[in-house]
Amino acid sequence: MGKEKEGRELIVSRQILSIPQHFSTGPVMGRFLAELRDNKRIMANKCPKCGRHQLPPREVCAICHVEATGWDELPPVGTIRDFDVIYYASPDPLTGETRQVPYVLCWVDLDGTQGDAPFWHLLDVDDLTKVRRGVRVRVVFADDRRGATEDIRHFEIIPDEPIEGGDAR
Amino acid sequence: MKEEKECAFVIEGKMALPYQYYAGAIGSQFIVALRDDKRILGVRCEKCRKTFVPPRQSCERCFSSLTDHWVEVGSSGVLTGFTVIRYAEPYQPKEPPYVLALIKLDGADTPIAHILECGDARNARIGMRVRAVFSEKPRDTILAISHFEEE
Repeated sequence: MGKEKEGRELIVSRQILSIPQHFSTGPVMGRFLAELRDNKRIMANKCPKCGRHQLPPREVCAICHVEATGWDELPPVGTIRDFDVIYYASPDPLTGETRQVPYVLCWVDLDGTQGDAPFWHLLDVDDLTKVRRGVRVRVVFADDRRGATEDIRHFEIIPDEPIEGGDAR
Repeated sequence: MKEEKECAFVIEGKMALPYQYYAGAIGSQFIVALRDDKRILGVRCEKCRKTFVPPRQSCERCFSSLTDHWVEVGSSGVLTGFTVIRYAEPYQPKEPPYVLALIKLDGADTPIAHILECGDARNARIGMRVRAVFSEKPRDTILAISHFEEE
């Protein structure tokens, strides 16, 4: 514990803080996560007034402020709208673990949404130069699912599919 | 909606954060004296006529440096305040209920916080004389003092 410096001992205390976390899903996120876990289905909810999808779902439409009661299953394929390459990882709030850097986060417009519900997740890619706006991607589900967003392990690029809208970068 | 409510559940997580606390030059000397010599050190500001325990690098009033103003204070003192801890958290030094007390040691002008062992918490009272009981095994924290007890 102690460290000698110029003949005088300096005290350092090294600890690992352990913080229990409880994340309550509520009914709407609960349904979304239960469908991921049990059926590998991606469910977006839908505003009865404006018809927009919300993914992940929320109880109330963010635009119309009415209860979003409808549900649509979306296909596990889509198009990258935007992405970040992360070189400095902050700890996961549920586990405290940090990911290996660099890693890629992407915002994906799943097929069937009208660009109104970008879905945010990891993109598994070995070559960063392949990451572009418009690249077609698909969901890879985790084998061991527990009703959390990690039940989707990541997105991956669909090989040999053309970039939507040409090379936007 | 009833059906949807049945979908609600709880996800458990556990966050582990690596953490390092540096006691610093002043704090280290305080801890080492507690651990190795069972002596409680403070620092004195002659200008303000105040003795600070635990020690600090500068005076809280006049901001002058107190780096080499060490004084030894007594290992006994007076209880100036206390609270009873009744809830349990894993980081606590002791099973509750216990008394967390503020103790102004003889020769000091500021109190330090520590555990008071007095049997039933109802035995604690402000103004009582208490003395430090040092830990059997060497510890690199304030728990080099195990606890305080009634004198």
